[in-house]
Amino acid sequence: MVTGTFEVVTRPVSRTVPAVRLSGWHRLRRGIVPYAYLAPAVALLVVWTYQPLAQTAYLSFHSWNLVPTSPMAAVGTANYERLLTTGELGEAVWHTVEVIAGMLPFTVAIPVVVALLVRRIRGRAQAVYRALVFAPMLVAPVAGAAVWQWLLDPSAGAVNRVLGTDLNWLNTTSTAQLSLIVITGWHVVGFAVLVVWAGMTGINPDYGDAARVDGATPGQVTRWVTLPLLSPTLAFLGLMTVLLSAQWTFPLIDTLTQGGPVGATTNVYYLLWELGFRSHDAGLAAAAGVLFFVGFIVVAALLTRLADRLTHHDD
Amino acid sequence: MSRVRLQGLTRRFGSVTAVDDVWLDVADGELLVLLGPSGCGKSTLLRMIAGLLPPTAGRVLLDDTDVTTVPPQRRDVAMVFQSYALYPHLSVAGNIGFPLRARRRSRADIRRKVTEVAGALDLSALLDRKPRELSGGQRQRVALGRALVRDPGAFLMDEPLSNLDARLRATTRAEIAELHRALGATIVYVTHDQVEAMTMATRVAVLDQGRVEQAGTPAEVYDEPASVFVATFLGAPAMNIVPATVVATDGGLTVRATDLDLPLGIDATTPGRDVLLGVRPEHLTLTGEPGIRAVVTAVENLGGDEVAHCRAGTHTLAVRGPRPLRLAAGDRVGLTARPEHLHLFDPGTGGRLVWRTADIATPERNFA
Repeated sequence: MVTGTFEVVTRPVSRTVPAVRLSGWHRLRRGIVPYAYLAPAVALLVVWTYQPLAQTAYLSFHSWNLVPTSPMAAVGTANYERLLTTGELGEAVWHTVEVIAGMLPFTVAIPVVVALLVRRIRGRAQAVYRALVFAPMLVAPVAGAAVWQWLLDPSAGAVNRVLGTDLNWLNTTSTAQLSLIVITGWHVVGFAVLVVWAGMTGINPDYGDAARVDGATPGQVTRWVTLPLLSPTLAFLGLMTVLLSAQWTFPLIDTLTQGGPVGATTNVYYLLWELGFRSHDAGLAAAAGVLFFVGFIVVAALLTRLADRLTHHDD
Repeated sequence: MSRVRLQGLTRRFGSVTAVDDVWLDVADGELLVLLGPSGCGKSTLLRMIAGLLPPTAGRVLLDDTDVTTVPPQRRDVAMVFQSYALYPHLSVAGNIGFPLRARRRSRADIRRKVTEVAGALDLSALLDRKPRELSGGQRQRVALGRALVRDPGAFLMDEPLSNLDARLRATTRAEIAELHRALGATIVYVTHDQVEAMTMATRVAVLDQGRVEQAGTPAEVYDEPASVFVATFLGAPAMNIVPATVVATDGGLTVRATDLDLPLGIDATTPGRDVLLGVRPEHLTLTGEPGIRAVVTAVENLGGDEVAHCRAGTHTLAVRGPRPLRLAAGDRVGLTARPEHLHLFDPGTGGRLVWRTADIATPERNFA
């Protein structure tokens, strides 16, 4: 009788293979590559953003009248104290909030409605509509301002004639701000439509199809599917509006109202400019610049966090 | 559950005809598989049934109602998309409950129904998750749940398993087939996978270039393919197709090509004609006496079976049999096939040929 045992079949054994060691020179070369790619961008940022920022911060603690030959005197926090005790700053901030609130319909609400409507048009007509809406963006702000000044002229302007009013739009405290908002809105609405359009194109059409088969009416598809999926785009536009509205209005303020009447259209950027280049108070302007910089950082951080929480990403 | 009827359904995109005059009748409780290669128009056809795409011509009937012009939200069909199309901003519960929410059902009603469906699909623990937090198989079940929650007249499924890995596909296939049995649901199921078609369908419609090449039970389309296209689309490896000639001999009709001479088992005479001879790889058997004289060029191991690729005359033939076939490249072999396993097709149209004796009293005889 033959005897034997069962043995487990041996499987391929895994052995640790030592990692390839690079020489010091090779490791250095490999490590340096990402920094080399980043260098040009970092250099530009330093030269154009961080260095002026540092200089502004430095300047904000000094008194200087922008004349190169006159001396710069250290004044400590005096500039900030002056800024915070006079009412100008608060008023400019409030005007900025007004501009932002007034711009949101032009950058979010109207573009969504226009994009939803234009989506229904097919073929070449669609491109024509989009081009028409986008056209104002291509007009230089100052050129647009000149045309609007003419349209809003109190005696012969087309706006007064069409509305049957007798208003001096740009030189009345109650209407100057509104006029600027509408003109700026007219200018940027095309861009916002384009952004919303791009956002909509990025939504997989299967979602809308699925919703329709699931029984949703076109209105429900828009409210329950399209708009939620568009929320990252809308959050982006909202953020742009908050951070950039005051800058968009700047060329119009400068050509149409110069911040008036009685400071009614002076927002933070125009105030900054006036302090620095009208009053030649470089220290005060720098202090305002530092405050706005910090303020916008805080606002942007809050909005980004809010947007992350509220928006839905299609993945 | 409803009956779905398609009458002369046609869809053209510019000069391209995606779906060409399709007539199909899907009976209540039937699982009809639309099978075809990509670009054959099967998804276009499904989208027209759903109402997502208006047909260029023809009609869609649900039960006895003409729904051709009815928008999708008012058709009583549910659809499972290939991409699943789960709403990314809604939870699993929100996704499954969506059709009920669109129908303005009460919250309590929706919650009860969603819980029930989620339980049946083993999704109860995942109701609060977002689609991006789910695995592929779980997403697939949520998509299924969203269709199941509303008791539709018919289910439309667009390649629902194509994004799953092989093992999951096999189990989900069985689950859908089981669901079909349990619900007695009418299902129109689009796939390019012949295994899904063969295993799940009560009826298969094979599509090519927008036309229905053949509609029948899985056994019918496999055993009696109506055309060369159907014959070669189903089966792995594909059916061998050899240009040949039918001639009358002393022993009856015979099909001949270079190194090939197979009796058709019909004791009659007929004028010789050119045909395409079709024979499935598993129906070719190795014999001593040669009906086909061939040389083995390669052997593939499929695990349970082996496939020997052979050359006979100028044609290549695949032979499939249980492993081991005991063949090696270079071997000379004799092959034969039983008459009932020989398929003849018209070389011009690709259509199936059936034998009909001149005597009208004799019923027609089909090869297979």
